[in-house]
Amino acid sequence: MNILSLSYLLFVLIVWLLARALRPGKGRQWLLLAASYGFYATWSLKFLAILVASSLANYALGIYLRRRPTAGRLWTAIAFNLLLLATFKYLPAWTTHEGVGNVPGLLAHLIMPIGVSFWTFEALSYLFDVYREEDLDPSLTEFCLYLAFWPTVLSGPVCRLPELLPQLRSAEPVWNDIAEGTRRIVLGFFMKTVLSQILGAGLRPGEGVDFGFNQIARGWSGFDVWILALGFGFQMYFDFAGYSNIVIGTARLFGIQLRENFRDPFLSTTPAEFWTRWHMSLSFWIRDYVFLPLATWRPQVWWRHFALVLSMMLFGFWHGADSTYIIWGASQGLFLMAHRQFQQFQRRTNLQLPASVLNFGGWAITFTFMLLSWVIFRANDLHQAVAMFRALIHLGGYRQVTLPWNFVRTTILIAGLYFAVAGLRKLAENMKRNTVMARLGWALSPAMYATAMLLIVLMSIHKSVFVYLQF
Amino acid sequence: MTEAIQEMTDYIARELVRRPGVEITPETPLVSSGLVDSFALVEIFVKLEKLTNRRIPAAKIQPKDMDTVSLMFATAEKIGKLRQ
Repeated sequence: MNILSLSYLLFVLIVWLLARALRPGKGRQWLLLAASYGFYATWSLKFLAILVASSLANYALGIYLRRRPTAGRLWTAIAFNLLLLATFKYLPAWTTHEGVGNVPGLLAHLIMPIGVSFWTFEALSYLFDVYREEDLDPSLTEFCLYLAFWPTVLSGPVCRLPELLPQLRSAEPVWNDIAEGTRRIVLGFFMKTVLSQILGAGLRPGEGVDFGFNQIARGWSGFDVWILALGFGFQMYFDFAGYSNIVIGTARLFGIQLRENFRDPFLSTTPAEFWTRWHMSLSFWIRDYVFLPLATWRPQVWWRHFALVLSMMLFGFWHGADSTYIIWGASQGLFLMAHRQFQQFQRRTNLQLPASVLNFGGWAITFTFMLLSWVIFRANDLHQAVAMFRALIHLGGYRQVTLPWNFVRTTILIAGLYFAVAGLRKLAENMKRNTVMARLGWALSPAMYATAMLLIVLMSIHKSVFVYLQF
Repeated sequence: MTEAIQEMTDYIARELVRRPGVEITPETPLVSSGLVDSFALVEIFVKLEKLTNRRIPAAKIQPKDMDTVSLMFATAEKIGKLRQ
């Protein structure tokens, strides 16, 4: 079941009405678990079988670890989950890779359950928390629901049991939850079906980011590459932040507050700040369970830098075993390291720069770097990424533009609108104390939502899927 | 311990906070407020081990356990092992 479909909205409505008839507690947990398994089974019964098997095994591993939380037992649990990921995420991708040839026996039938990397990371965080002797005592139903909870099972946000468990036990939606949940769902649909769709597929055939990245035979000029990087950066943002809004909004309808996943990432003034605003649930997971244990393992400064680059490479590898993802991750690690060096240089030399210069310069460098790094992330292979970077440094090529002008204008307009809306939102936050402005906001919001809904309906005629479903 | 807490507070204010000039006390939220980043957290961890003379198992600690200077010293005392 695609969460952009009408059947999904109907499904949410039915489960919500049934949940209202039940009191918070076991009955409602059973209902949510049945709905979650039903939802996941619509993708494939085989996927569901793997999810259930993983849930049962991880629950058993949690009991085993709680009895004696030793490093050996933790490593056993980690090894199980890594093996699961290797088998169901990386092996199926490898068997379909060009040049592998005929794959024997069972290997040829391996499947990749959708969302496997998201719910496996949730299972791992539970096991780490048990090892840390955190006060956690989920029942089997609660644990299965934690991994399978339908709003998050496909593409996160990556949840943590200590935050979710009390809500699964006693959450009761109030009017504010329903209003906020609905607002997030409408906003998410608008971001995905309108903005991301326009950037990805273009307004007309033969336009859009996907078409631009695939025009390999024609090649690209430097200007083309900048526009494609800008377009893809915003397409990814509207796609995944839109998806996150829909699932966070859905959970909120049931009174459950999930972790946020995006917080205006393109306004970041440093790379370190960017990674606390972009795909936050995963970047914090990597920080807490990979980077910190690894970086504190040895006291030397060089080791910390190494741990940083390695953690970001793992971040890239999480998306897939392609060299482009790993190089993208390494480039993020090196950029974070360079930023750290600059901070230290600034402190050592007592370099005082005006805050406006520091903020604007930091934003410009961070934004530009992130755009360029999307070229590596999105390129079909490393050869294409190299060709596109070559076009960037070939100054003579800037005179020509091979992309359709309509797409160029649309991309610049959408990016400009993003910054205008972000600026207006900051202004509105400052004006919230003013009652006249607050009332004006209330009066305008129905018109804004009506426009958003109209655009969603108009754009829904295009078939669209979320970019992050492939991870 | 009070001296060590003060030394850590001064160290963070002088060397690690993102926004220089912000007043740091032993109760100031550091991680949840975004005042320190992940890299600074590692430096705080290393300094904490030195000041408390304890070995703190990294896998047993989370950023939320180090959100304030007071909290990180309490955590170190709870899970750290005294060095010989």
